[in-house]
Amino acid sequence: MAIEFMSDEWKKEYAAELEKRKAAPPPYIYFTPEWVDLFEKKIQGDATYKEVAKDWEGSVCLHVEPNPDMGLDIDLYVLLDLWHGDCNWAQIVPTDVGEAGDFVITGSFERWIQVGKKQLDPVKGMMQGKLKLKGDLPAIVRAVRAATRLVELSSEVGGKMPDELTPEETQELRDVVTELSNKFLN
Amino acid sequence: MSSSTGIGGGPEIKLAPGADEVGLAVILADMIKSNLESKPKRIKDFNALKGPIYIFADDADVDMTMAFGKGSLTVFGGRAGKPILEIVTDSETLLDLANISIKFGMPFFFNKEGMEVPIKLLKRQLKIKGMFFHPFALMRLTKVMSVN
Repeated sequence: MAIEFMSDEWKKEYAAELEKRKAAPPPYIYFTPEWVDLFEKKIQGDATYKEVAKDWEGSVCLHVEPNPDMGLDIDLYVLLDLWHGDCNWAQIVPTDVGEAGDFVITGSFERWIQVGKKQLDPVKGMMQGKLKLKGDLPAIVRAVRAATRLVELSSEVGGKMPDELTPEETQELRDVVTELSNKFLN
Repeated sequence: MSSSTGIGGGPEIKLAPGADEVGLAVILADMIKSNLESKPKRIKDFNALKGPIYIFADDADVDMTMAFGKGSLTVFGGRAGKPILEIVTDSETLLDLANISIKFGMPFFFNKEGMEVPIKLLKRQLKIKGMFFHPFALMRLTKVMSVN
């Protein structure tokens, strides 16, 4: 039975789950809760982001489309709560919360992996239609440096890329996502 | 042909078939639509634009054409028609062009973002074919594209 998103119980359970998962040392698998936690810390500690995003207002959601072959059976939404250069929090959220983000950047798992490996520049990716952007376009164009920096930071976090996992690790990712989905995302 | 917008009976912005697969085309069509909604004074500039304008983001290898028709815009993926202006540059510079400020109804080149434009033109990192024959079209395009 899923817990109500962002209720006290949800926060407590999510924090406990995160601590449990962080008991193992990095590198973490891309887009797992523990990886998102490292991403959050990376944004919070980045002076460049703080500078280029000082006028930024609004949440950004990274939407990863499913790829069952890589262990992702559902749409995954990572929401970044951002305000004037600060990152209040970043976490995996239910679909309706993610879709309601001020800016939603959507891509297939393969595209996000390319971004993570610095094989796909996010601005170029958007121009090519490989990453799709939803939200007030003029606002994101005004803050293009901040948006680009965010994606750069996601690649700086590093981690185990899902296309390089062993079959056992892929199954582990599938299990994590399923468990997470049942407990926290419905 | 899919209709992207029709602003309260005002300018109509359409994506030609297949253009919705071209990110650059979708981004620029949406951006112009948002700009005209939030800055209705620029509809006058939009309505004065006539003819195709070709844009090529060379680093992303993506091109598109905006065919203006005095109050309407059809956005095509790739080259279409005989452009009056051709803009060739990288993806980031295209977004920089959209960040040019407009002051007193004119593009403003005397701040950080604006100064980049003549510098990149001189360095040939930004090429604009037709700018001397169609300066007013370029000025109006800059205004309808500017998010500032």
